[in-house]
Amino acid sequence: MRDDLLDPRAVLLHESAADRDAAVRRCGRALVEIGAVAESYVEAMLERERTISTYVGEGVAIPHGTAAAKEDVERDAICVVRFPGGVDWDGEQVTLCVGIAAKGNGHIPLLAELAEILLDPDRARTLREATEVSQILKELT
Amino acid sequence: MAGIDSKDIRKIIVACDAGMGSSVMLASQLKKQLKNTGVTVEHTPVDSIPADADIVVCHSGLAARARAAAPDKPLVPFQIFLGDPAVTKLVDAIKNGGTVDA
Repeated sequence: MRDDLLDPRAVLLHESAADRDAAVRRCGRALVEIGAVAESYVEAMLERERTISTYVGEGVAIPHGTAAAKEDVERDAICVVRFPGGVDWDGEQVTLCVGIAAKGNGHIPLLAELAEILLDPDRARTLREATEVSQILKELT
Repeated sequence: MAGIDSKDIRKIIVACDAGMGSSVMLASQLKKQLKNTGVTVEHTPVDSIPADADIVVCHSGLAARARAAAPDKPLVPFQIFLGDPAVTKLVDAIKNGGTVDA
């Protein structure tokens, strides 16, 4: 896997958000801050979330942009943003967001690994309760 | 479409909007579950479902667009990205034989 796919600077484990949109914006900003996407990508993430929720189970959502917003992506990148207080996600409780920016396929192995983790309740809990960046990197890469 | 015999499924398309998130996750799971069955799994945007697809799997929120784009293809809509009963049934039918409601 490419080293810059999951930049440790984009792993934020002690965030809070008032609602789903605020949480998605926080993820988008993390991707903007590491130079992975243009500012306009954040709006596309919100748009996508309103169309179909990216909640994938086990308290995890994977916000990302729309097909049209791929032109706002500079490079494939992932951010991990944890909300220990939880965020109401259309009735589901989300504590971990894995935000995605992708125009290629570089992130697919990481998503495949995430799927494996989410199908194993113990590993999913470890990921949700991680308080160190190193734990997240170890689980996902 | 009333259904499709699982023997006739050679290629599954996971249709999605952006093709960078949840559908990618589902496609990777399906690929793993159907390893050694000879069935191909690909993900494509909902508007460009290939002609050689035997069955289309997509989120229920995209089902109308998928039907419009590929009206002749059997469609399995799902609600949950991981562990949806409709997808589990599809995998079971391919592995053990049977008809898939689609």
